[in-house]
Amino acid sequence: MRQGVYVRFTIILLIVGFMIAVQYNTVQKPESRDTRDIWEIRQELSAEKQLHSELLSDIREVNETITKYENLQSESPAQALNDTLETLREKAGLTEVTSPGLELTIEPSVEGIVLGQTVSTISPDLLVRLLNEINRFNGHHISIDGKRIIQSSPIRDINGQTTVNSLVVQTPPFSILIGTDTLEDAEKLYNHLKSSMIADDFFIDNLSLRIGEPENMVTVPAFDQELENNYLKNTSKGD
Amino acid sequence: MWLPLLGLILGISLGLLTDIEIPSVYENYLSIAVLAALDTLFGGVRAQLQHVYDDKVFVTGFFFNIALAAGLAFLGVHLGVDLYLAAIFAFGVRLFQNIAVIRRIILTKWSERKGTIG
Repeated sequence: MRQGVYVRFTIILLIVGFMIAVQYNTVQKPESRDTRDIWEIRQELSAEKQLHSELLSDIREVNETITKYENLQSESPAQALNDTLETLREKAGLTEVTSPGLELTIEPSVEGIVLGQTVSTISPDLLVRLLNEINRFNGHHISIDGKRIIQSSPIRDINGQTTVNSLVVQTPPFSILIGTDTLEDAEKLYNHLKSSMIADDFFIDNLSLRIGEPENMVTVPAFDQELENNYLKNTSKGD
Repeated sequence: MWLPLLGLILGISLGLLTDIEIPSVYENYLSIAVLAALDTLFGGVRAQLQHVYDDKVFVTGFFFNIALAAGLAFLGVHLGVDLYLAAIFAFGVRLFQNIAVIRRIILTKWSERKGTIG
């Protein structure tokens, strides 16, 4: 008899404890307070607006492709497919690109030479930082010392040598080619790089960054290695 | 004796570990349900100590009180009357009464035992 009472009390207490814990969880939930001021909100708004316009242009692009497919369906679907394939290859960095852009030259700094310091290779961190700066201002096609940067390009230190796409970057001087969509973008990028702190970061490493004037024609070489694709798989038809 | 306590700890840790949160709209209902559950629980303990405990009364009382309290709160929200206050009041008063009775019974038992020993 008493044992049964205990078991019932235990079950009831289990439920009560669970309810209390859930209530506790709910009440203790930290309220995330909005502490942004009006300028931060404005900035976020403008970022979202930019995203919006980018998405709209993407949609337009895709729509154009669809119309193209529809128009060519009767004539030559292969042609349309080839066009798309070519666009995708260009986006992936598998083709040589000639477009407006600019050329950066990385050299040992004059001060370093005068003081007789040895020229060291550029560090991967610095290179990544520079790439991020370039990417922020629509430098879409980039090659470092002739090595084309694609989505999966690794920049890292291998046995003390900085490599891009697993190929060693030579000790400075070497050049970085940047292709942009329009000459206007190239100018923007030029001004941005001129005004950014990135040159100071180079100077710390006894290097100097020479930023070339925007040019109408810059030829960025293609990515010439095998693309490794370990995770994407073809789906079976109809999926 | 320790079995119910174990149940309580198990229940609390289960609730905390699963990290369940209910929408804040239903927070009121849960709080009142917790109150009803506590009321029934202490009622059960008191009944046990007074030797009038009955399984059916206890178990049905537990679930019925919770449902009634939540239902009353629900009705109150829809009628625009704060009916859940009635439930809180009723359960609160009963909770205090039950705990007072439990305290007295335990005190009496304790002093009796002390008397027999001494």
